[in-house]
Amino acid sequence: MFLVFIALQLIALSTYFTFLEFPRSQYLTSASYVSGSVLEVRNDITKHFNLSYNNDMLQRENTWLRQHQPASFQKLQGHTFKIDDTLFHQQYLFIPATVINSTVTKRNNYFTLNIGYRQGIKRGMGVFSEKGIVGIIHNTSEHFSVVKSVLTENINIDVMIEPIGLFGLLKWDGADPRRGSITGISNDLKIKKWSKVVTRGGSGIFPRGLNVGHIEKLRPVEGKPLWDVVMRYSEDYRTLQRVYVIKNLMQAEQDSLEAAIPEDKEEE
Amino acid sequence: MNEILKHSIRFIALFIIQAFILNQLEVGWGIQLMVYPLFIMLLPFDLGLIYLMLIAFGMGMLIDAISNTYGLHTSSLVLFAYLRPVIMKIFSPRDGYEKMREGNIFEMGTRWFIYVFGGLLAIQHFWFFLIEIFRLDEVFFVLQKTILSLPLSYALCYLLQALFISKPKER
Repeated sequence: MFLVFIALQLIALSTYFTFLEFPRSQYLTSASYVSGSVLEVRNDITKHFNLSYNNDMLQRENTWLRQHQPASFQKLQGHTFKIDDTLFHQQYLFIPATVINSTVTKRNNYFTLNIGYRQGIKRGMGVFSEKGIVGIIHNTSEHFSVVKSVLTENINIDVMIEPIGLFGLLKWDGADPRRGSITGISNDLKIKKWSKVVTRGGSGIFPRGLNVGHIEKLRPVEGKPLWDVVMRYSEDYRTLQRVYVIKNLMQAEQDSLEAAIPEDKEEE
Repeated sequence: MNEILKHSIRFIALFIIQAFILNQLEVGWGIQLMVYPLFIMLLPFDLGLIYLMLIAFGMGMLIDAISNTYGLHTSSLVLFAYLRPVIMKIFSPRDGYEKMREGNIFEMGTRWFIYVFGGLLAIQHFWFFLIEIFRLDEVFFVLQKTILSLPLSYALCYLLQALFISKPKER
């Protein structure tokens, strides 16, 4: 009896703790086909609850994009107009997706998206919404994928405090879905309240300059020359529905270049 | 009504309530409502412990698969199932459990139900939040979550029984 109990507990606990590090299987997650389909049906029912709000947001974004279309600019240079651009190469592609399941109250929160590797989603891609970053793809199946959100303990996204360009790592303390914290900010620098926090774009997961949030509070860390920075997310993850997945066309190039850095050897 | 059919309907109903309604709610102050242990509680008294734990394991895995919690619900529900006979033995009525059909609140009385189900639910909630947070320096947050969630979960379980379980005729 007791042995069966121990065995079942071991299975359950090991799935819980290993998933935080690396997803071994898809069968027990909402990226699996069955639970993914169930969640999609549920989302079909509940997505209309926020319909007008979402429409407003999409309309606002559409207006902004329309303003940047060639049609809304006056042509100054006559008829010849070449589009084949050699100055700007496309680096990032964005794939639209819908969040079909999410939690914000757990210690580690995962969101499920309605697209999977058939649509070109891979582990490690970044996810953001119109207002701010959301997380990193953690696990994919054929038609669904699971995002490790910024509301996860060891998310560690590199961010930048905007006007002064200070780098730090984004963390979450596991309690409040509206606030995160930034570590590694040394306290000899003055930081203004409400200064903007954006992504640094160092690892190629996120482009530089995506919104993350605003600095809300600064507290000195005891015994260390560091600030404990409390940041308010610009996105409200409790009402999140429409997101974009980032595909970096130059990721392989950056990775192979950075892999060429020789590792420090101990004996030399 | 056929016993197996009755329990299957309860299983599906509690699963839907938990996975699609309660796990999506954000109440605040770390409150998480859990009613699915009620299903394990209402299983027949003479069911073997191994079956009880296997059913708990299956139900927990289903809820985990839907809500991206990967084993949290499973672990706490298996603990609930394992401790059910232990706690029931402590509070067993004078004549034992032979005459009783199932452990609902009307059959066994409010007092018994508060002791047994309340106690088991408290252990299950505490275990759930302990595993979820898993840090010694936040024990007070675990306790806060447990103490705030427990009365609400219990009240919800009481309400579900009052609505859907018919009271015994005589007495």
